[in-house]
This record gives sequence, C-alpha cells and structure tokens, in this order.
Amino acid sequence: MNKKLHALLLISVFVVATCGLIYELIAGTLASYLLGDSVTQFSTIIGVYLFSMGIGSWVSKYFEKNIISWFIQLEILVGLVGGTSSTILFLVFESVASFRIILYSLVGITGILVGLEIPLLMRILKDRYEFKDLVSKVFTFDYIGALLASLVFPLLLIPYLGLVKTSYLVGILNVGVALIVCVSFKKEIKAAVYLQTSAVISVLALTVGFVYAGVITNFSESLTYADTIIYSKSTPYQRIILTKKGKVLRLFLNGNLQFSSDDEYRYHEALVHPGLQALPNAHNVLVMGGGDGLAVREILKYPNIQSVTLVDLDKGMTGLFKSNRMLLNLNKSSLLSPKVKVINADAFTWLRQDKKKFDFMVIDFPDPSNYSVGKLYTNSFYKLAKGVLAPGGIMVIQATSPYVAPKSFWTVDTTLRSVGLHTIPYHNYVPSFGEWGYIMATENPVYKKPAVFLPVMRFVTKESLNLMFYFPKDMAKVKTEVNKLNNQVLVKYFEDEWSSVL
Amino acid sequence: MNGRPFYKSPGFVKGLSRRSFLLKAGLVTTGIFLGGCIRKLNPKTAYKNIKGSIKGPNAKAGHILRDKLPLPAPNATRTIKTLIIGSGISGLSAARWLKKQGHHDFELLELEDHVGGNSYSGKNSVSAYPLGAHYITIANNEDTLLTGFLQECGVITGYENSLPVYNEYYLCFDPEERLLINGQWQEGIVPDFGLSADDKAQVKKFFALIDELKKVKGVDNKFAFDIPIDNSSTDDKYRALDLITFKEYLHQQKLTSVYLLWYLNYCCKDDYGQKIDKVSAWAGIHYFASRRGKAANAESNAVLTWPEGNGWLTQKLAAELGEHVRKGNMCYSINYNQKGQVVAAIYDIAKGITSNIIADNVIVATPQFVNQRLFKDIQRGVDYSKLNYSPWFIANITVNRLPQAKGAGLCWDNVAYDTPSVGYVNAGQQTVKITDEKRVLTWYLPLCDHEPRVARLAAYTRTYEQWMGIMMPELEYMHPGITDAIEDVECWVWGHGMIYPAVNYIWGANRKAAQKPVNNNMFFAHTDLSGISIFEEAFHQGIRAANQVLTIYGKQPQT
Repeated sequence: MNKKLHALLLISVFVVATCGLIYELIAGTLASYLLGDSVTQFSTIIGVYLFSMGIGSWVSKYFEKNIISWFIQLEILVGLVGGTSSTILFLVFESVASFRIILYSLVGITGILVGLEIPLLMRILKDRYEFKDLVSKVFTFDYIGALLASLVFPLLLIPYLGLVKTSYLVGILNVGVALIVCVSFKKEIKAAVYLQTSAVISVLALTVGFVYAGVITNFSESLTYADTIIYSKSTPYQRIILTKKGKVLRLFLNGNLQFSSDDEYRYHEALVHPGLQALPNAHNVLVMGGGDGLAVREILKYPNIQSVTLVDLDKGMTGLFKSNRMLLNLNKSSLLSPKVKVINADAFTWLRQDKKKFDFMVIDFPDPSNYSVGKLYTNSFYKLAKGVLAPGGIMVIQATSPYVAPKSFWTVDTTLRSVGLHTIPYHNYVPSFGEWGYIMATENPVYKKPAVFLPVMRFVTKESLNLMFYFPKDMAKVKTEVNKLNNQVLVKYFEDEWSSVL
Repeated sequence: MNGRPFYKSPGFVKGLSRRSFLLKAGLVTTGIFLGGCIRKLNPKTAYKNIKGSIKGPNAKAGHILRDKLPLPAPNATRTIKTLIIGSGISGLSAARWLKKQGHHDFELLELEDHVGGNSYSGKNSVSAYPLGAHYITIANNEDTLLTGFLQECGVITGYENSLPVYNEYYLCFDPEERLLINGQWQEGIVPDFGLSADDKAQVKKFFALIDELKKVKGVDNKFAFDIPIDNSSTDDKYRALDLITFKEYLHQQKLTSVYLLWYLNYCCKDDYGQKIDKVSAWAGIHYFASRRGKAANAESNAVLTWPEGNGWLTQKLAAELGEHVRKGNMCYSINYNQKGQVVAAIYDIAKGITSNIIADNVIVATPQFVNQRLFKDIQRGVDYSKLNYSPWFIANITVNRLPQAKGAGLCWDNVAYDTPSVGYVNAGQQTVKITDEKRVLTWYLPLCDHEPRVARLAAYTRTYEQWMGIMMPELEYMHPGITDAIEDVECWVWGHGMIYPAVNYIWGANRKAAQKPVNNNMFFAHTDLSGISIFEEAFHQGIRAANQVLTIYGKQPQT
C-alpha cells in the first residue's frame, strides 16, 4: 500500500464527512423553509439523521466480503439519493399531505447510507494502520470535514448556488469519491468496469440535474425576492411565488405582492366587513379574483351566508389554496367549505353570461398594471357587475392606494359612478402595502354604517370605520376621466403614479 | 378553393386571341421574373418550417368567366321580380333595403360559399380574424341611413344629448396604434419619435390644413368632402383636385417632410392599396377630411372593429335575408330577352349544372371588371380599362408569443416606418378575456410597387415560400425572434382587392357612365362606382340601387 493510496483514502474520509453533514444541513434548511418553525425542523431532522446514521453503523457489520466494492456502490447511492433529495422535496411539496413522510424517509435513507460510510472506510483502512492511528486519523478528518461543511454551506453554497444546485454538487462529489476509489483499487475489486460505468453514468446524471436545476427553482429569480422562495409555478396566466421568512408567508403574482400573512387580516377585514356587516340578510356572495380564499374566509364568518361563488381565472391559484397545509391554515380551508363554489373562468366573460343575482360582491383583482387587467376596471365591466347585484346589495372593489396613486383610486370611483352606482370610498393602513383604498358601490344611496362588528375582528370596529371613511387632504378626491375599454386611462395613471414610487 | 394560378387551367389557350395571348405570356413571364428576383434577394429557405397555406377567392369561377370555358346549356328557367348579383357589402345592403321596404320577390346570387365579398373572415382555435376589410370609423351624424343600420345591429346602443352612444365592446380597445420608428415603438401612427422640429411642424401644418378642409363647403353649401362621395359638393374649386395626383398636391402645398410623405403614403396604401403618386389629390384628402362623426362616448374618428373584421357587419346585413341568398351560384352571362326582361345564366358550382333566371329587373353588385365579362351585347359606354384595382396580400399569422420590443406594447394596429406592408392588426384586440400569449396577427401587404396587372400576375405565381421570403424579414425586423413563435400562417391573395381612385376617376366621365342604369331595369351597385372601397360607400351603393328598383314599383325612395 503506497502513500498515494493512504492519502486518497483519508481524503475520501474528509469528503464523505463534509458531504454527510451538508445533506443534513440541506434537509434541515429545506424543512424549515417549507414547513416553517426552524427550531423544531432542525432538531427533528438532526435527530432522525443521527439516529439513521446509527442504524447504518449497526448494519455495517453485515457487510463481510468485497468491502471496497460495497463502499464504491454505497458512495454512488449516497450521491444519487442526496443529490436528488432537494429536487424531490421541492417537487412533491405541492401535495403536502405526504410531504413529511417523504421528507423523513429521505432523511432516514441518507442517514443510513452516510452512517455506513465511515465504518466501512475504517474496515478498509484497518489493515493499513494501527488501530490508534486509524481512529485518530479518521475522526480528525471527519471532524475537519464537518467544520468545513458548516462554514461552506451558509457562506458559499446557499448564497451562490441555492439549495437544489448544492445538493447536486455534493452528490457529484460523493460519486466522484466512488469513481476515484474505483480507479485506484481496480486490481483489488471485482467487476471494476461495472462500478466505473455506474459511477460515470451517475456523475453525468447529477451534472444534468445541476445544469437544469434552474427549471425546478429559478435561482436567479430567488435573488430578486428578499425571502426564501418555497413555491413557484408558472401557470398560463401568471407566475405564482410563495416566500417564507420566519412565520411570515408572502404571495407574489408576477412579482407583485398579493398578501403578507402577518398583516393580510387588515386588508381582508377592511375589504369585506364594512359592506357585509351592513347586510344582515345577505345570502349569496360573489367573489371575483381573490383565489387565495382569504376574502372568502372573512365572508364565511357570517352564519347568514348560504353560498359563496368564487370566480378566479387561475386554477393554479385556487388549487394551491385548496391543498397546501400552510395555506389552508391561513385561509381556514375556506375554499373547501361546502358553501363555496369555485369557478375557474375569466371574470369578464363569465359575468357576460351569468344571470344570477348576488347580495354582496367582492371585486378583488390584481392592480391595473397592464391593459389585460385594466379591462376589469372599466365602465363596461362595472355595468355587467351592476347587472348581477341584487336590489339593496353592495359591491366592494379593491382600488389601489389613494395615497400613492390618488388619480388611479379616484378613477375607479368616477368609473363606478359613471354607470349610475353610488360609491362609498374608504381606506386603511396595511403595513405591507401602505395606505390602501377600497370602494363600496350600491345602486341606491342606502348604505348605513354598521353599529357593531363581529367580536373576532382584529382591525375593523365601529371606531376604526369612522377613520377609514375620512379622507385627509393628501388623499382628497381628484377629478378624473372614466376608465373605458377604448381609453384605458387607469392603466396609464397607475403606471405614472407607481413608477415614481417603485 | 385554392388560389391556383390560372395558367394551369386546361382552358387557358382556348378562346384566346393571339394578341391577348402574347400580352398574357408577357405578363406571366414578368410575374415569374419578379418572383425570381425576390427569391434571389432571399436565398434562405429558413421559412420552410413555418406551417401554412395560400388561399384566395374562388379561382375556378374566375377562370370560367375570364377564359369563357364552355358550360352545359341551361336546362331550367325560373322567373323572379328582382335579381341581385354579388353578395359583397353593396349586394347585401341592397337586399337588406329591399326586404326592409317590403319588397320580397328577390334573389341574391353569390358564387362563393359565403357572403361578404372582401369583408370575408376566417377562424382558428385562437381567434376569428379578418381576410379583408376589418374596421369602420364612427358614422357621420347626418348619415342617418348608416346610423340607422348601426343602431339596428347594436353598434349604436342609444343617444345621449342627441349624440350616438357606441357599443363599447366594438369601439377599438385601447391601446390602439403604434409605430416602430427610429428604433422604438411610439404610441400612435403619425410619426413623432425622433423627428426634427421642422418635420414636426410640417406634420402639424398638414393636420391644420385637413381641419380646414373638413369644415369647408362649396358654393352649393355641401361639404367639399363627404361620405358617400356623391354627397360631396359639385364646386369645381374642389373637384379640380381630382385632376392631379395627391403627390403633386402635397408638392404644391410645400409639404416635403419625408416623414409626413411616408405617413401619407402609408394612409393611401392602407385605404386604396396605392401610393400618393397613383391616387388623385381629391381622394387623398377625402381619406382625412370626410369623417366628421361625433359620439357621446368616443372621439371623432374612433374606430369600430371586431375579431372577424367587417365580416361581423356582413353577418348583420345578411341576418334577415335567409332563403333569399343563394350561395355557390355564379352568374356567367346577362342578356335581355325580347320582352325586355333580364336573362341571367347561372352556374351551380357544386352540382355543375346551369339554369336561367328571368328577372324583371336586376341589381348588378359585382365589380366592373367582372361585369365586362358578363355582358355580351349590352353597351354601357364604360371604358373598363380605366378602372384600376389594387391587388393585396393578407397573412393571418398565429403566434404563441410576441417577442418584446422597446417602447409601446402590442396595440390593435402595429406599423413599422418605411416598410412595404401597412403592418398588422391584433385580431383578438376586442376580446375582454385575459388570454395567454397566443395571438393571431393579420398582416396586410398592398402590392403597389408595380403596375397592378403585373403585380397581380406575380402574386398568382408566387409560392408559399416566396411569400414567406417577402413577409418574414419585415416581421423579424419588427419583432426579432418571431420566426420561432409562429405556429401557422394563412396567406390570402386578393387579385382585385379594391378599386383605387386614380386621377380623374372619381369626378370623371367614366364613373358617371358606369353608374348609369340600363333600360331602367338594370342597376349597378359596387364601391368601384364610388372609386373608394370603404364600407360606407358600399352600404350606400346598395341602398341607392335598391331605391331605383323600388321606384319602378311606385315606392317612394327613402333618403
């Protein structure tokens, strides 16, 4: 046994140790990204991982012959399982019911495989060193590897490569060890060609994964978001991004923030309750947009509501908010309620066909930042909306910020009035958005401020309502044109007003 | 029916005089030569992969007429009061008017399997799209026949302060127009971005001039420029403008800015299929100065459009016609019998049989280049060779995305400065739906770089790949990378797309002669009798001819 081989085996210990720890860190980070509560996630992941390593060490005694050959196969397997683990976890995250099972199974398998590595390596090296030297050398390199891993992972790998690419890279290193050992010990092992070929194929497969990792999670995109992206999907209509930091979830559609879980209640309470509380006999509610089910959650707080029809264009949105555990916690599974009917359709087209009347309507579309969405803020659209509003009913429209974009806000008001509706504009402060505006519209001037609100409310009360209805001078009404399909003035105002802020 | 080149027809040599054979042979050679030139300029076959086809109006029927192919002798005869030949806008308008006035004994013949003439349209899984005329502007308020029709079909929904309220689903959705100029897409088509102060001043001067001409009236107290054209003033001061080209007129007015001249060339190409050196000054001005429509809810000159273009209007005109319309039936000759009745020989294209229709009177709503083939013994004093028709090429391009460019985003009308085409329209502009990236773009190319006859023959001989060789470089210039986004191209060739108002046509003797009824029972209706091919003219041509018929029956024509 020459010196070169000694060095090689010790370097293997070092690489194997580094990789082993990185897998553990990846699993812990992923779990805290996707499931939240990092303390619990990290402790349970570390626990399961170490325990599985223990199982691996115990199992190692059953490997008797061809230890080097076994070691090589093991390295290839660790590389493949570890390398693809974060990809698998990201892909199955959407179907959350089985997510934890898959997570802990993967952690367990990786742990067992990693646990096998050091005992097998020690047995390969046992004839080449004295026992005291062996223990000293192996554990020294093991712990140095651990230190390296714990520094490289947060400082280099995650910031520059992201989770998915890091996994593939580490997987490639593992299989690389297998390949080098295989070439170096060619004479001592059987079926060297077979092992070498498998190693080469595995390296290639992992390299392909590394190159195409961007398809799974767009890493360059993640740089544009302050928080960690835990879900991203492109539907035919928009790009949905969900981020998480601590316990706070944020939803972005085409890069625009839709809600932040820590203050969305301010927005949704303000959107729903000033109107719906004033309609004690309301039975049928229509929500257009709002595929996150958060407005529906507020609506379902009223026992008098018999049916809620939610019209949202994007099946990708409503599907996500019907299935993801975290999001179901947030919207109180509102979209799964038997009272709620979800229709995935284009609101404009749908409204042109439907004839049923609604007592209360929530029109909660994305901001009018382009001509497609701008159509949903036109007089033509509001005429249709008026057509399905039951006598005495109220509709409420999210109408962007009256502070940042007063012209845009008051254009919505002017447009609603142009089709013969009476309007009640109001606003409140939502920390994530800033000062935000809403407009209620009714066919007759019948609106009366509710005297009491549901006690569960955290923001809307009789007192706060008075403030919401008052417009200080810096948000006072301005004269604007009517937004029409053939002038789309709102999109132009909106672009002007927000471009000076963003 | 494919737009097969006619020379492949077996009847080509038959019935041709030697002289016309030589002329045709020369034209075909020129056409092939031109095709070859274009091929040489674009040696790439990069467009081979773009899936598509070439279509056009029923070529077989055209051959029968042009080459006088022998048809079986008529074996049946039926008698009706009024026959209308041709279901373009003027034929449909005539039929609608007869029906509205209680005259029910008429038939409307159409050789194609659909009505609408050059307002035809198509449809695929992405959108309906125009194959010809694709918009109108809001009506002049005093044109009550037109506003009446528009109200009847829901384009005008009511009146506010005595101004019409237009249906907002049909008023062109914003954003309406953009122009690729000096490396950027600007809003609007009138050149502005990157123009010098002098150029901008000239553009301003031209529009100031137009504003004057819009209001101006002749000694007879009629507008100098009106729609329909025949309502315009007879004052020679303005009619004299028909004797010079638009180009000469602009020169006289010292309007020389290349940007302004490009814009006016673009407008003439867009409306007449020819450039300012071919159309009369009167017609060139008419394009701008005749539209004074006001609406309660739209700007004057506002555009009304539909995914299927004016195909939508043809459906409305034809809505009540039902059994009166006979499609797939072409009239191939018209004569008088001894009683002075009109005898029209009809060929049923699908069945391959012929028959005669004997009518007390007839409205010939076909273009005059067709009429000269229908009439054998009827003399009208019309010099048919003086009527000029612009050939057009139209491509409906289905794309799965539109590569982004600098400046304004996709509009209804999208034009690139200084290119042969007049740009493309977004067929799906009037959809309210939030859609994915798939779109149909309708690209219009007037074939005006050569004499119409030469350009027409070249167009008939061109292959699909050659058309792509003409179209794709321009599209790539507008949207680099668009080639990969194209899913399908449907090409359509209109050999005789529209009449163009050559010098001295609109107020010359020839047009007057062509409008004249024959024997007080043969009347004519077509935009080539107006000299400009717009919906409004065709609409009034039809009503005018229908009123001539109604007069025979003692009905007071409504105006």
